[in-house]
Amino acid sequence: MKRGHALTPVPAVPGRLLDAQLHLLDRQVIDNDGVPVTTVDDLELSGPALETELAPGTAAPVLTALLTGPVLGTRIFGGRPPSSRLIRIPWADVSEVGVVLKLGVSGEHLDAGWVERWIRDKIIARIPGGRHDPR
Amino acid sequence: MKRLLGVALGVLTAIGGFVDIGDLVTNAVVGSRFGLSLVWVVGVGVLGICLFANMSGRVAAASGRATFEVIRERLGPRAGLANLSASFLINLMTVTAEIGGVALALQLASSVHYLLWIPVAALAVWLVVWRVKFSIMENVTGLLGLTLIVFAVALFLLKPDWGNLAGQALAPAVPAEETAPTYWYYAIALFGAAMTPYEVFFFSSGAVEEGWSIKDLVQSRINVLVGFPLGGLLSVAIAGCAAVVLLPAGIAVTSLSQVILPVAEGAGKVGLAFVLVGLVAATFGAALETTLSSGYTLAQFFGWSWGKFRRPAQAARFHLAMIICLFIGLAVLVTGVDPVLVTEYSVVFSAIALPLTYLPILIVANDPQYMGQHVNGRPVNVLAMVYLVIILAASLAAIPLMIVTGAGS
Amino acid sequence: MLRRTALTGPATHLPGRKRRRPHVWAACLTMASVLAGCSGTGSTISTAVEDSSSAIATARLALHLESSGKLTRAATSTALDDSLKELETSRKTVLELSPATEMERQAVQEALGVLDHCAASLTDARDAAASNDGGPTLPDGERELAAAADRLSALGTKDGGK
Repeated sequence: MKRGHALTPVPAVPGRLLDAQLHLLDRQVIDNDGVPVTTVDDLELSGPALETELAPGTAAPVLTALLTGPVLGTRIFGGRPPSSRLIRIPWADVSEVGVVLKLGVSGEHLDAGWVERWIRDKIIARIPGGRHDPR
Repeated sequence: MKRLLGVALGVLTAIGGFVDIGDLVTNAVVGSRFGLSLVWVVGVGVLGICLFANMSGRVAAASGRATFEVIRERLGPRAGLANLSASFLINLMTVTAEIGGVALALQLASSVHYLLWIPVAALAVWLVVWRVKFSIMENVTGLLGLTLIVFAVALFLLKPDWGNLAGQALAPAVPAEETAPTYWYYAIALFGAAMTPYEVFFFSSGAVEEGWSIKDLVQSRINVLVGFPLGGLLSVAIAGCAAVVLLPAGIAVTSLSQVILPVAEGAGKVGLAFVLVGLVAATFGAALETTLSSGYTLAQFFGWSWGKFRRPAQAARFHLAMIICLFIGLAVLVTGVDPVLVTEYSVVFSAIALPLTYLPILIVANDPQYMGQHVNGRPVNVLAMVYLVIILAASLAAIPLMIVTGAGS
Repeated sequence: MLRRTALTGPATHLPGRKRRRPHVWAACLTMASVLAGCSGTGSTISTAVEDSSSAIATARLALHLESSGKLTRAATSTALDDSLKELETSRKTVLELSPATEMERQAVQEALGVLDHCAASLTDARDAAASNDGGPTLPDGERELAAAADRLSALGTKDGGK
C-alpha cells in the first residue's frame, strides 16, 4: 500500500523483540516454585482507548498485564469478554519469557489461581491424604 | 548392572502394559472369526505406535513439556480444542471400557457378578491414582501384566498346525463365512486397538512425571522399540489362541469368558490362574493409564497444575477432573451396558480420532523451538507422513463401514 | 410347553427324550425351499441361529473343560451365564419379529421352538456345573447341549444356510 512516506524503522531497543501472538498468547504461566498457574488468554495494554484521536506526544502503549479468564468461546467464535471478567497478572510479576512465562512471585496470592485454591481448600484437602506428598 | 536392571524393568513394563481390554477383546474376536488373516494389521499398528510414542517421548525429554501443553500453543485454541474434545471423549469411553474390563475379569476369578465389582474397581483405580507413586504403579501393573504371556504358552501347548497358521497370517484372505466389509471394519478396529491415542499422551506425560531428560532418551527408545513389538506379539498370541480353539468350534467371541477358554484348554488350571491375574493386571493398569490421561489432557490444555509427582493439594483441578471422569465411567457402567460392547466401540472411535491426536505430535516434533537439535530426522518424517495417510484412510472409512456392516455383526 | 419348561426350571426328565414333531418338520422343509433366506425374517433368524450356535458351542467347550478339570467353577459359571445371556438376546430378536406371511410365521415359530430348547439345555448345563449333588450332572448337561446344537444346525441348514 503506498503511503506518503516510508514507515520509520523500529528503533533499536535494549532487550528482546517479542511477537505478542506467537510468544505470549496461549503460553503457560509458571510461578516461582515451578507450579503452573494458568495460560495466557489475552494481554492488557496501557494507552488510549481504540478509536480515539491521538494527540501528538502520546506515549506508546505499554504491556501492563497478562490476562486470563473465560475466553475459550470468544477465542473460537470471536468477540471478547468485558475487562471486568478477566483476571490480571501484572506484567511486573513476570520474570522470564521463554517457552513458558515464569513469574517471580508465588502463585498462592494471585487472583489467577483462585479456582485452583478454592477446589483445593473445599474439595481436595477434605479427602484424606490430599496433602500427602507422593515422593 | 543396575543400569541393565533398569533397562530390563523398562522393557518388561512396556510389554506387560501394552495389552489392554481393547487388545484383548478385539484380538480375540478377530481370531475367532477371521483366524490369523488380520495379523498384519497388528504389525502395522505396532510400528505406528512405536513411531509416535518415540516422538512424543522425545518431545517430553527435549522440551520438558508434555505433548498437550504444546498443542494449544502451537496450533491455537480452535484446533487445540478440537483435539482436546476428541481425545478426551474417546479417553472417557476407554476409561469406561477398562473399568468394565476389570470388573469382568474379577467376575471370572470369583463368580461374583461384575456389576458388584464395578464400584470396587472404580474406587481401587481412584485410590491408586490418589496415593501410589507413579513409578511403583507403572512397574507393578506392568510386571503383573506379563503373566499374559500364558497366551503364547497355551498356544504352544495346544500344538496347532503352525503351517496353517502361518499361511493364514502371511497370505491374508477374507474367510468364507465373513464378508469383505466386515474384514476391513475389524482391520480398522484392530488398528485402533493397537494405536490407542491415550498411550501417546500417557507416554509423554509420564516422561515429565519421571523427570526424563535427553540422557534418558536411549532408555525410552529401547522401551518402545523392544517392549511394544513384544507386546504386539502377545496380542497376536491372543488372536492365535482364539483362532486355534474358538474358530473351529464356531464360537464368535462376544464376552471376556470366551477369551480365556483356549488358555484353559492349553494350559489347564495353572494357565487359567495366570491369565486371570494377567487380565486383572492389564485392565487395571490400563484403567489407571486412561484415567490419568483424561486428567493430563484437560490439565495440560487449560494450563492447570498437574502431575502425580505433586501433592494432590497442589494439583487440585487435575485430581478433581479424574474423580469426575471415574464417576462418569461408573455411572455409565452401572446402567448395565455390556462392557465388551463399549470396548468394541471404543477401539473403532479411537481409530476415528487418530488423525486429530497424532497430527499435532508430528507438528510439535518438528518444531526446533521446543526440540532444539532433537527434531525429527528425515526418515522419521517420511514414515510419519506415510502413517498419517494410513491413519486418515482408516479414520474416514470407519463410519461408513460401521454402518454397512452393522458394527461388525 | 417348551417355554413353560424353560421358565420353571430344570426338567430332570429331559435327557434322552427327543422332541420331534414330524408334521412341523415337513412343513418347514417346504417352507425352506420357498424361503430363499433373503427376507428380513430369514436373515434375522439365521443371525439368531448363528449367535445361538456360538453360545451353545461355548457352553459345550466350557463344560468339556470343566469335566477335564481345566476350568474353575467360577470361570465355568461365568462362561455359561454369558452364553445364556447371548442366547436370550438372540431369542428376543426372533420374538420381536412380526412375520407377514403364514410361511414366515411358521419359520419364526420353528426357530423359537428350537431356541427355547437351547435355553432349557443351557439352563440345565449351568445348574449341572453349579452343583454336584441332585439335579443334572455334567455328562447330562453335555448331552443336552449336544442335542441342542444338532437341532440348531438342522435349523440353520434348513433356513438356506447363511
